[in-house]
Amino acid sequence: MALPRLIFITGKGGTGKSTVAAAMAHALARRNPVVLADLDQRSSAARMLGADLNGRGSAQIGKRLEVRALSPRAELESFIERIVPLRMVSRRMLKSRTFGYVTAALPGLEAFLMLDRLRILAGEAARSGGYLVIDAPATGTALELLSVAGGLGRLAPSGLLHRLALELEKFLTDPESFGVMIALSPEEAALREALETSAVLDTRLGIRRIGAILNGVAGQLFSRAEAEAASTLGKHGELMARRIERGALAERARRRLSGAGINVIELPMLFRTSLGGQEIFELSQALEAALARQ
Amino acid sequence: MKPALALADYRLIVCLGAGGVGKTTIAAALALGEALNGRAVDVMTVDPAPRLLDALGLATDSAEPRHVELNGVGHRPGARLRALKLDPKATFDSLVERHAPSAAARDAILQNRIYRNLSQALTGVSDYMAMEKLLELHADRGTDLIVLDTPPARHAIDFLDAPRRILELLNSRAAVLLGASSGFLGQSLKLVDLAARAVLKAFDRLTGLGLLADVQSFVRGFEGMYQGFAERAGRAQSLLRDPRCLILVVTTSEAERLSETRGFIDSLRAIGLKAGALIVNRTLPEMPSLAEIAKLKIAPELKRKLRRNWKDFAALKAREAESLSALRAMMPRHAALAVVPDLGHEPARLADLASIARRLCGAESEDAAATPPK
Repeated sequence: MALPRLIFITGKGGTGKSTVAAAMAHALARRNPVVLADLDQRSSAARMLGADLNGRGSAQIGKRLEVRALSPRAELESFIERIVPLRMVSRRMLKSRTFGYVTAALPGLEAFLMLDRLRILAGEAARSGGYLVIDAPATGTALELLSVAGGLGRLAPSGLLHRLALELEKFLTDPESFGVMIALSPEEAALREALETSAVLDTRLGIRRIGAILNGVAGQLFSRAEAEAASTLGKHGELMARRIERGALAERARRRLSGAGINVIELPMLFRTSLGGQEIFELSQALEAALARQ
Repeated sequence: MKPALALADYRLIVCLGAGGVGKTTIAAALALGEALNGRAVDVMTVDPAPRLLDALGLATDSAEPRHVELNGVGHRPGARLRALKLDPKATFDSLVERHAPSAAARDAILQNRIYRNLSQALTGVSDYMAMEKLLELHADRGTDLIVLDTPPARHAIDFLDAPRRILELLNSRAAVLLGASSGFLGQSLKLVDLAARAVLKAFDRLTGLGLLADVQSFVRGFEGMYQGFAERAGRAQSLLRDPRCLILVVTTSEAERLSETRGFIDSLRAIGLKAGALIVNRTLPEMPSLAEIAKLKIAPELKRKLRRNWKDFAALKAREAESLSALRAMMPRHAALAVVPDLGHEPARLADLASIARRLCGAESEDAAATPPK
């Protein structure tokens, strides 16, 4: 499958978005230059890869993988510096609290500028034959973010922001430039949210959905006949039922997603005492194999 | 079973947490638990899953408190549970209607482009409005306890900080600068403000937003309402700082959640509030002993699989234990930590919520009578 330059990974909270993003960046970096970034400065995906940004904007991990922290504030600053060329004036403006209130009142300005940064970074990735992997916010916030271009474009009928809004919409709806991966765990609530998100992307925003990553799929251990005995096996039977139930949920999620025309990539549940570099490496291998098959 | 939390003295419980931790479920279970203990409880949810509404027996979500039928779960006399869903837009509208000095002022605000965007789009507004709804509920003297679910926070304490921020906005020179009459806040324009105003105008022209006029009329529109807002924001602040308010952080034990939870606790401290309790939701069940497998009369093949299964879950349980001790270490002294084991499915019936409630609040229920104490 040909991936877009920017792979935007979102999903319900707690479904392992950051793990998936880290594994994805790791998998792609085997062949191509990759930038992995998050938009909330928690850098969880970067930390899983062993990078501690510690306030810095970026860090290099290995030959082809770079992690970055993007911040709405920095985007606002660079935008102001762009339109107010006098450095002294722009500095003063940014320092004034008043200005902060005004930008807070302009709906979505920071989000808009953040998207514009992603557009620029994706352009750079395209030129170097690489990819940009975004550990995006949870679905609700992510959809708000992706809707912002159209909204602000309508608010600004002409001028610089209007032009930027048009460019942004073109970027977001270009299937070779931008695509969304939805991470989910097999639970019902995560599945429901994934299906809703996919529908919004498809029908309302016209944004490419690359597919869904079903995370934490437990390998089946028990045969059907064995499963029937679970209720007679006490606490161990309960543990057995828990595993079987997880498998059944994954099966159901797979069916529903495919039924909605969504590509599904599965990642195994790793029964480990910790999730670190080794585990991300294993997941990235599984991901790479799955991508090659599609 | 001894309840994990003693809630009888609290009049307000605020549940904070990131999206996806089951905050709404915990809020509903706590409210149910205290109702079953014989108190009159209101619970305000923010974004209830359809299953949870089913569990509460509410066909649709309502912005007005609706009574929850407590049939089928044992309860003490006096038990009352009402649930409602936060509707930020409607709450903001009614707030403006209540405080606007005139019909013309009201309409000017309701039709303002900035207001319409603010009240629908910005997450911060849900926070202000949750606080506003809290004051409304609090005015009802017949209620013993209010349990608040809060909007999923991008910044840990948006919700708790909302009253201070709205006060600051209304109180700032921004209001003056943006065109409120300078006498109204008793401050005069300084030279630097005049310069900033000129730059803002240029900003507006360059960006093509043409929004400054809207921002100005928005701020001006609120001019007559400042007193009402300030007074209410101040009251909300003191409710949160009252010793009868419990601030509770909900989380799950995934490693990804640890830094998030630490963020919540630290930012609470930064604004002078304390996380009074931490609830770790959806923990794994206690592990049975491995030796039991040998005693089972089953095929060796199945025994082998059961051992493998035990080993797999034991690894997850160990990962969880590590998270739990990290969480314990980051909590303030004397703060309670309670775990809520995973039900294995989404709570879909009132009995599901009651089983969580029993664990947290020691609430009576019919299930409790049926289950022998451990």
